Amino acid sequence: MFALVQLVPGDPIRLALGTRFDQETYDALLERSGLDQPLVQQYVNWAGRALTGDLGVSFRSGETVTSQIAERLPATLTLAFASILVALVIAVPLGTISALRPRSVVDRVATVLSQFGISVPEFWMAIVLILVFAGTLGWLPSGGYVPLTDDPVGWLQRLVMPAVVTGVVSGSVITRFVRSSVLEALGADHVRTAQAKGLPARQVFTWHVLRNALLPLVTITGVQLAYLLSGVVVVEIVFSWPGLGQLALQAVQARDYPVLQGAILLFAVVFLLINLVVDVLYTAIDPRIRR
Amino acid sequence: MRSYRLLALTTAGGLVLTACGGGGESVDTGGGGGGGGGGALVAAVSAQPDQFDPHVTTAYPSFQVLENVYDTLVVPSAEDLTFEPSLAESWETSEDGLTWTFTLREGVTFHDGSEFDSADVVYSYNRIIDEELSNSFRFANVESVEADGPQTVVITLTQPTPNLLERIGSFKGMAILPENAAEDLDLTTEANGTGPFQLESSNASRTVLTAYEDHWGGAPSIDGVEFRYITEPAAALTALRNGEVQWTDNVPPQQIESLQDDDSVELQTTPSVDYWYMSMNYARPPFDNPAVRRAIATAVDREAVAEAAWFGAAQPNQTAIPEDSFFHYDYAPFQPDPDQARQLLEQAGVQTPLTMGLMVTDEYPETVTAAQVIASQLEPIGIDVNIETLDFATWLDRQGQGDFDAFYLGWLGNLDPAAYYQEQHQTDGPNNYQGYSNPEVDRLLQQGAAETDEDARKAIYDQAAKIIVDDVSYLYLYNPDVVQAWAPGLSGYQIRADKAINFEGVELP
Repeated sequence: MFALVQLVPGDPIRLALGTRFDQETYDALLERSGLDQPLVQQYVNWAGRALTGDLGVSFRSGETVTSQIAERLPATLTLAFASILVALVIAVPLGTISALRPRSVVDRVATVLSQFGISVPEFWMAIVLILVFAGTLGWLPSGGYVPLTDDPVGWLQRLVMPAVVTGVVSGSVITRFVRSSVLEALGADHVRTAQAKGLPARQVFTWHVLRNALLPLVTITGVQLAYLLSGVVVVEIVFSWPGLGQLALQAVQARDYPVLQGAILLFAVVFLLINLVVDVLYTAIDPRIRR
Repeated sequence: MRSYRLLALTTAGGLVLTACGGGGESVDTGGGGGGGGGGALVAAVSAQPDQFDPHVTTAYPSFQVLENVYDTLVVPSAEDLTFEPSLAESWETSEDGLTWTFTLREGVTFHDGSEFDSADVVYSYNRIIDEELSNSFRFANVESVEADGPQTVVITLTQPTPNLLERIGSFKGMAILPENAAEDLDLTTEANGTGPFQLESSNASRTVLTAYEDHWGGAPSIDGVEFRYITEPAAALTALRNGEVQWTDNVPPQQIESLQDDDSVELQTTPSVDYWYMSMNYARPPFDNPAVRRAIATAVDREAVAEAAWFGAAQPNQTAIPEDSFFHYDYAPFQPDPDQARQLLEQAGVQTPLTMGLMVTDEYPETVTAAQVIASQLEPIGIDVNIETLDFATWLDRQGQGDFDAFYLGWLGNLDPAAYYQEQHQTDGPNNYQGYSNPEVDRLLQQGAAETDEDARKAIYDQAAKIIVDDVSYLYLYNPDVVQAWAPGLSGYQIRADKAINFEGVELP
């Protein structure tokens, strides 16, 4: 990964210096950045420091990579979890109702809605929301981020629109999974047995259907969460949300290798962590897996 | 277009400098939710500053902030960009043009309260020179910078440098820091300047400045400035309309017409000192052939390119320097004429269809649009333009390696003819990527760089420009307008051709 990042054409020193500079300036900066050393040497240096929690210093801003990531982490966590919340609030009821009444009007409407949510560009949805709710109606600020501790109301106001946009997209994906897994569980032998036993419909549903349908839901929610945590660039840009996606994008554009490597490392760790949590949840939902 | 320009000029004429307007206590606008209250201006800019060390950064978003925090010895005037006193009150040039003596302003203090004197100037300039920072090329002719008492700085040159004021004052990259600032402060995140505002805080959402009450020009009339980063132009305009922000420069050119009649927004444009151009690789036949380059210059319709790229918010120009500048040279030898262009190609003995790669970058989306128009204009004369859209890093790499047939880009923020022509067209000039070499141009550029008489200097650059245009070293296209919008009733702000953003004299509605 380290080498891959640097293999991309583009010279970070030239980008940092702009278009007007002389050779002495270039050489001085090259030496300071350590990019004049062999790649293997650079990697050894980087990995050694990374083990101690030092991810280096950004070429662009001169700040440490850890402080840049730490500054943006709260915004990313906020948006990711709010989006997942929105997604589940949409997906679980909608998917369940569709599954309980397959081919009904409700099911068809839900299918169309989720298809819409998946295919409509986030960019477009975000701009429309801004123009309507911040522009015409004037109910919400057009974007930005304030920490929860500074201004809880402002925090929530600014969170609504980006969370809805990413939540609708993730929710549409999850709806389809919920529908198919509930349908599958409904048709299972043990459900038929439970119904034949004369158990109340509500009990059959919560104990025998929903619980079995939960496993795929946890999996897909984990995947969606990992995606949201690695930053949703388009939504972050349109809503001026200072998340990790924007940081990673800027780092790519500026060929700011230390920041880019730091971000990639973080995304990898996030992915592993979420997989771990999903696995632990599996065993809680389905004790058979423990064996 | 005309009416816009008149509008801009009227405001310029009617500008009221609010030198001592009460001020009051400064208000922290950081994280203040709705913002706007307490007399602080909220400005929407399109990107976050990369850092705040004026001698290191090259990013425009950083200079939007730094313009209000630091001062230089001299500054370009808002009206015509000629240089006027700032931290230097006056200056003298010796008979031989090799010694410049600057008398510094008295009673100037930095934001931490310390006195400003000649040692700070010597320190700042020597920092740029000794550490070979990004602007060290501006001191190429400087032999020494020395203090002669606390109020006098003497700059000694190796050759007469008529554009020395431009070199040391064209933007805040030449800011004066307090002595030993780099040791005392972390200049990437902290600042200690002499400007009207002090840097209060900066994070991934906003940068906050507060008024500096003891500013030498008088305290600003607003309590502070909050720069918010809003990348998406539609969001920036919405924020301006609903009062979240009071000023923005993030206006999409295609919106200019509709905003003109919009009472909720005050929109102004003024021609900028930037220029956009196309250049062909002299090392790649057949583009080494002047007739081929002239054929292409004849086929391109600059009006149409400007219209497509900037929705008309640009002035077509066949030379680099815009119409309003003293150094503008009225020369337009090429009239768009496909038939004549085809003839020129035939005479050059070039086989058509000829393929030409045209390198553009999505960093500047207008270059992509413009390239499509150019491609459609060159197609009828038998040139197939292969548009290569690259990210800027790759683009710069290939430009540096000379790996292109042709490219399309602009130069921003030029004030002196030397900046317009020298590095780009002198043989082996640092930015002469096209590989142009003409001894006559070299001689004129050398002469112009050392000529101290303004009129004689203009005549020299006019001659050089004529040859450069005729040889098509650069195929000059247009000067775009500066486009900015603010809340109706906001006063004391002046839109500037060099795109410096100065909120010193602003009063809120």
